[in-house]
Amino acid sequence: MEALRNKARELLAAGTVKVVIGYGRGSGGAARAVFIRDAARSGALIYDDSCRQNLAVYLMKPEVRRLGKAALVASPATLRTVLQLAAENQVPEGGLLLLAPAGGEVAVLAELSAVEARVAAQDQDLGRAEREELARYEAMTLEQRRDFWQEQFARCIKCYACRAACPLCYCARCTVECNQPQWIPVPAHDLGNLEWNVMRAMHLAGRCVDCGDCSRACPAGIPLHLLNRRLIAVVRESFAVQAGRSAKSDNALSTFKPDDPEDFIR
Amino acid sequence: MARIGVFVCHCGENISATVDVARVASEAAKIPGVVHSVDYKYMCSDPGQQLVKAAIQEKGLTGVVVAACSPRMHEPTFRRACAEAGLNPFLCEMANIREHCSWVHEKGEATTHKAIDIVRTLVAKVKKNRALQPIKVPVTKTALVLGGGIAGIQAALDIANAGHKVILVEKEPSIGGHMSQLSETFPTLDCSQCILTPRMVEVAQHPNITLHSYSELEGLDGFIGNFKARIRRKARSLDEKLCTGCGLCTQKCPLRRIPSEFDAGLGLRPAIYVPFPQAVPNKPVIDREHCTYYRTGKCRLCEKVCPTQAIRFDQPDEIVEADVGAVVVATGFDIKHADFFPEYGYGKYKDVIDGLQFERLASASGPTLGEIRRPSDGKVPETVAFIACAGSRDPAKGIEYCSKICCMYTAKHAMLYRHKVHHGRPVVFYMDIRAGGKMYEEFVRRAMEEDGVQYVRGRVSRIYERGGKLVVKGADTLLGARPVELEADLVVLATAGVAQPGAEDLAQRLHVSYDAHRFYAEAHPKLRPVETNTAGIFLAGACQAPKDIPESVAQASGAAAKVGALFSQSELVREPLIAVVDRQAPPVYSSCSGCFLCQGACPYQAIKREEIRGRDGQLIKTVAKVNPGLCQGCGTCVALCRSKSIDIQGYSHEQVYSEVLALLNRGERDG
Amino acid sequence: MAEFDPKIVAFVCNWCTYAGADLTGTSRMKYSPQVSVIRFPCTGRIDFMLLLKAFAGGADGVIVSGCHPNDCHYSSGNFHARRRWIVFRGLLDFLGIDVRRVRFSWVSAAEGAKWAQLVNETVEQVRVLGPHRAYQRLRGLGVG
Repeated sequence: MEALRNKARELLAAGTVKVVIGYGRGSGGAARAVFIRDAARSGALIYDDSCRQNLAVYLMKPEVRRLGKAALVASPATLRTVLQLAAENQVPEGGLLLLAPAGGEVAVLAELSAVEARVAAQDQDLGRAEREELARYEAMTLEQRRDFWQEQFARCIKCYACRAACPLCYCARCTVECNQPQWIPVPAHDLGNLEWNVMRAMHLAGRCVDCGDCSRACPAGIPLHLLNRRLIAVVRESFAVQAGRSAKSDNALSTFKPDDPEDFIR
Repeated sequence: MARIGVFVCHCGENISATVDVARVASEAAKIPGVVHSVDYKYMCSDPGQQLVKAAIQEKGLTGVVVAACSPRMHEPTFRRACAEAGLNPFLCEMANIREHCSWVHEKGEATTHKAIDIVRTLVAKVKKNRALQPIKVPVTKTALVLGGGIAGIQAALDIANAGHKVILVEKEPSIGGHMSQLSETFPTLDCSQCILTPRMVEVAQHPNITLHSYSELEGLDGFIGNFKARIRRKARSLDEKLCTGCGLCTQKCPLRRIPSEFDAGLGLRPAIYVPFPQAVPNKPVIDREHCTYYRTGKCRLCEKVCPTQAIRFDQPDEIVEADVGAVVVATGFDIKHADFFPEYGYGKYKDVIDGLQFERLASASGPTLGEIRRPSDGKVPETVAFIACAGSRDPAKGIEYCSKICCMYTAKHAMLYRHKVHHGRPVVFYMDIRAGGKMYEEFVRRAMEEDGVQYVRGRVSRIYERGGKLVVKGADTLLGARPVELEADLVVLATAGVAQPGAEDLAQRLHVSYDAHRFYAEAHPKLRPVETNTAGIFLAGACQAPKDIPESVAQASGAAAKVGALFSQSELVREPLIAVVDRQAPPVYSSCSGCFLCQGACPYQAIKREEIRGRDGQLIKTVAKVNPGLCQGCGTCVALCRSKSIDIQGYSHEQVYSEVLALLNRGERDG
Repeated sequence: MAEFDPKIVAFVCNWCTYAGADLTGTSRMKYSPQVSVIRFPCTGRIDFMLLLKAFAGGADGVIVSGCHPNDCHYSSGNFHARRRWIVFRGLLDFLGIDVRRVRFSWVSAAEGAKWAQLVNETVEQVRVLGPHRAYQRLRGLGVG
């Protein structure tokens, strides 16, 4: 933690960055995002198990961008997010510093290739716990899954917190705001809720890096990350690719292989 | 408010026999927005079209739905009729109630209902149609021809003779290609150089042709009618304007032991050289890889002897940019070389050679001045084995296809050998003889019957050396697979014709597709054989597949005719059914976030990045932009765009969304 | 109760399947009238949202069809579509929506008979599955 604070202080004092985006202690002891622009306030930074939010989401906010070059405290998922954002042209090379805490030390990553190297050392694929959780749902009957999700989506209030929390939901105009035609009905009813959640999952297919912030943000407690994880598994099994691993890779859905599986096409 | 006219056709009885057309018309009249609905016996007839035109004018229609046959049949007819009546043709849609309804379902309520549904769908669509204007793009009337072999030469001359400018790019120091290496040509046995050289000279002297020899295409941007080519003129290391082609330098060059590419490695050349005496242009080039000066910093003899001081050791490559309207790709082929046939000892035994090497041995200008002498000891071979299908039609070698030219040139080689060595014994090992072509079968017959060439049907399994002879082991499948063993003095392999080494790389620079063997892919194997899938880029010759000279020339003239047709107009008119990226007033500018997933998915490289800058020049955002000249309107980008920032004219979000809802009787909220 | 007549919406490309269905017509082959066709330039254009809208609008089944691999008029639109469908099927299945209601097929311009068979098979399949009540119940407030 001290290493992180020192590094932030140093970067701000030297003017290398204008803002350090990290975690601080919020109300009730919970971790919350802090934007430190004054070196003297670097002591407010914390980093522990309570720091779970994917701070990359702030990189895409115009208000934050206006602050100038940022250093971002990056969890493993945040590193993957940054790579995916770079692959989608949203993070320019050299436009950002990443502070990756690990074992009391903090690595400063300036180049995307360095981020790639660090991410390469992470586990590929979903972890065992994630796979087992997914398998539990996959083992249900079709009707059980249908009932489960209907029950879940019935609680959706279309607040779009999932969208706001997701660093990859950065579209300048979301399709839910289109009304010519109105793709997603405005009120929160069963049909519209399903359509919204299908759309959200599909739009993250081949892009989601599994940070889990959608589920953490959902005030109704809907396990939205399961939908993303399912598609991560489909994309990996079908196309042998995974998002957030490279700053240059093509998206799974904007590319193809002539011999992609097609046993379902008759 | 929409004012839609619906015109229901009986198509004689083709529709009315199973569909209650009068009811379709009366039901259509009830759809909100429909102000006019009639049925008629033959809507495509003159009186039928008159009904449509009159209604457009009298009722002030804003859209037309013709419920009749497939749009693939009469959409152009009715769109033209609408245009004649003053309605934008893109405000007309066809409801296919014939092919998709009356012809495929039994007479009855369900069929009439379906016809009504189809009409309702198209009415919903046409309400969302927009008046579109055809896209006009200017045409630069200069053609770029890549490759100066016979195909490229023919294409360049045909285009130039039609009065258009041509830029011909050849990677070797001289044009001429493989044809210039050949001794004689089948089936007439006329000398290859004799018929080719005049064409080469014509190219050099043609006022409409600019020749860049020893040059390669660096990059190609743009689209049909409007390409921008970057050509790398590799340094010849001399000033071409000063060089007179006197040849003194090539005679004085002390390094004379470099295998000649032109002689397929059988002859030698100096480090400063002209590939062959009839080269066009007849200017030497310094082979920097071998030249003593470039390797050791000493020599410069050519510089000393040059009477015009033309040698330039420090000459850099030059990049030339050119605007062109069309491209003809005529980059030719290669043959399989050494190491591909370990079982035949090719590359190991000097007297196992390939077909091109035999051409050079038989050529009067070749290393043996036309005498057939084997490479190892210069002896005249008494027995020559010619092996057809060396590599071709051999899935085990990864080449399933027939190289097409080998049967004929093998017969020619055997004949030439017999004509030069009267007592010699030519033996051809073959799988099948493929001699389809004018006078081709007769030619092979002549080889067998008049020149006594022995043909053995069977594959050769192995070749090895024994006592100064090459033992060819095979089987004669016409004699019950009896083993055959032949002692030969020289073996000529008709090795498979393959794509040029850099074929893939060039294809990527041109954005044209290629097949599994890296031959360039035509747009349609039967009906569009000289076009590629990229508009404005055409194919000629063996870069598409192995071909003989007449075929290459025919295709080259075909490609030239296509270029001529393109250049006959000053503007290209294209259907406006293309993708468009959202643009809005500031401060939004565009709903596009610039993720550019669309860019990777576009099959036509039609999506570009556009930088939107403020008045102060500061970059505000980078967004996608569709090049209307390149977009073909597939809509893959549209379905991929998460924020629906790309739409496609003619199949827009609003149009297809309305169709789906109308089909399901849910109607539209905003009518 | 009368036999259930399912409603099927077919999303097809203009160059192969639409032309193939035209051929079914010119060949006068008969098939079930329960299907309605919507024409697209290419399967690559078919937005997954439209499939959802078809179900929301009351379709009991959906056909998505275009050119065979390597036959795409636009060279690769169908390959992109195929990836999209792989992912979409994976999601629908996970959400408990029966993917047997969505039939994917390649039908070329020469396969008139295949088109008739595809429609008939899909109608039969969906007839066995019954009305898509689970989805239609969702229409809930009926706005959309």
